[in-house]
Amino acid sequence: MTWLETVSVTMDVSKNGFHRDLVTTVYFGPGFPDGLEALLVHRLPSGIYIDQYQLASLKEDTGLQVLLGSEVDLEAPAHTSEEFIVLVYPALDQGSLKATLPIHGRYHKPSLAGKRFELVEIKLPKLILRTDTCTQLISFPPYKIVDSPCTVHNLSICQWLEIQHQQEQDPVSLEIPLGDGSLVEPVCAGTLLVTLLCCAILSRSIWRHGVFLDNVILT
Amino acid sequence: MASIVESVLSKLMNKNVLFTVSFLVRLVLVSFGVYQDRTMVVKYTDVDYHVFTDASKFITQGQSPYHRSTYRYTPLLAWILTPNIYLSHVFGKLLFITCDVLSGHLIYLILRQRGLSCEAACRVCSLWLLNPLPAGVSSRGNAESVITALVLATLLCLELRQLPMAAILYGLAVHMKIYPVTYALPIALSLQRKENVEERRVGWWRKGLGFLLRLLNKELFLFAGVAGVVFCGLTVLFYNMYGWDFLQETYLYHLTRRDIRHNFSPYFYMLYLTADSPWSLALGLAAFLPQALLLLLVSLAFHTDLALCCFLHTAIFVSFNKVCTSQYFLWYLCLFPLVLPRLTLSPKQGVELLALWFAGQGIWLAPAYYLEFEGYNTFLLIWLAGLIFLIINSFIMVQIITHYKPSDTMQRLKAE
Repeated sequence: MTWLETVSVTMDVSKNGFHRDLVTTVYFGPGFPDGLEALLVHRLPSGIYIDQYQLASLKEDTGLQVLLGSEVDLEAPAHTSEEFIVLVYPALDQGSLKATLPIHGRYHKPSLAGKRFELVEIKLPKLILRTDTCTQLISFPPYKIVDSPCTVHNLSICQWLEIQHQQEQDPVSLEIPLGDGSLVEPVCAGTLLVTLLCCAILSRSIWRHGVFLDNVILT
Repeated sequence: MASIVESVLSKLMNKNVLFTVSFLVRLVLVSFGVYQDRTMVVKYTDVDYHVFTDASKFITQGQSPYHRSTYRYTPLLAWILTPNIYLSHVFGKLLFITCDVLSGHLIYLILRQRGLSCEAACRVCSLWLLNPLPAGVSSRGNAESVITALVLATLLCLELRQLPMAAILYGLAVHMKIYPVTYALPIALSLQRKENVEERRVGWWRKGLGFLLRLLNKELFLFAGVAGVVFCGLTVLFYNMYGWDFLQETYLYHLTRRDIRHNFSPYFYMLYLTADSPWSLALGLAAFLPQALLLLLVSLAFHTDLALCCFLHTAIFVSFNKVCTSQYFLWYLCLFPLVLPRLTLSPKQGVELLALWFAGQGIWLAPAYYLEFEGYNTFLLIWLAGLIFLIINSFIMVQIITHYKPSDTMQRLKAE
């Protein structure tokens, strides 16, 4: 019981721009039980997405173990997308469990109020634990029992114990640039002006140097 | 030092040496790519190659290639790449570099057909064969070289007046990528029967009728018939195999594509800001009209020189398109060597225009990098850079049109 109270989870976002890394670390005190398995249940907002093909390639390169709850559309903008669940099986790394998940920002609707960035908040994941040596779990508050895939191969379902966070960390957030909706008229006018101008200049050049034979109805 | 360089270059301009060296260079790039993918975090192979391979895997398992998300190509491509699964992962790349060198060979044959000497044709060809852009693109696993080979083969067959073969290749090309469909009008105009002297002296409505009758001739029907059978046959075959997904992903997606993410197109920001507005459809149409008008004008003006006509067609199509990525540049770059021999620009002017073209891309790439990888809000700069790039492309096209010396036939027709 007391060892469980030493477990804490922190999360951080590294890199800049639309392509980031979500780094989740699980710290725990001494006395790590044998055969303990950990699973981080991320509920990710609609403002970002995960590339399952990139994950497949990373699995081979770095051993990252991730299960996606549902199909993620790689190209849809944020306002037509939904939250989704990601199951991350962190690996032991220098005395703590760590997982680095590559995430990508979606395009958001242009802002009308001059807002230049959209803040996308990512809540801390739920941490659930299980051990091979203890298959029968008894639920006792504040810990709950949940069912989740035993391993990343998703062949069977096991019972896991949900751990409450000892430290309440604020959700991490990342800024996604937004188009400026208040400029829609000058942008449309400017674009159409330049394209029509280029079209006119090219037409004039083609008209002058083209070999329009007499049998063409226009001449 | 200069004499060593000169002697190397002159040996290189031997046809067999040139083609062997270009193939070997691409082979080295493919091998390096395999090494880099295995050892480094940043991969050499393009994402598209993995998309093709995944789709081929689905086919080997008896399923539809469209189960692979973002596979937006003909099933034919996934079928052709099934040896990626059965033989080796590198088969596709070897196929693409072969098509790339084949494109160079087709350029050589067309130039010879248009009257260039062997040595001059080699020199012009080397602009494609020793060019890092197509070599890099095909060794990274993009399939653009397949379509450039098909388009060049169509043009060669038309030069040789082998109409049935040209029509088969054209039907196949349009099936693989939609953009060659714009060549239909120039090809039709180039196949029209020549006008008689008596036909010149009639009134305008009779001229119009005469024009139509000359256009709708036996050769056009042959070409259209064969190309139509090939295209429709492939469409019906794959529709039966894969249903609506095939039509949606291969054709409809590209025709209705509204990619609001940043790209070279001058319309990108306008389409992003108006994506959900009621004006979106009208603006889409407004963007389409300059493109359509210019394509019509180019067809009517230059159909007597198909290589120039197709080059300008594709360059205009890509520059004025609602979506433009760097892969599209290869579609007209493969036709540029055919246009080059008749340009009266000096080498200095040529290099200046090339530098201007690269500068235009650089002006766009800088704010795009800061947006995507550093998170700065550079949308306005990207928009302006897109407009500048269009202006630069238009300027270069005007220079090419102005300094093009038509063939003797064209000059004679112009003088009459």
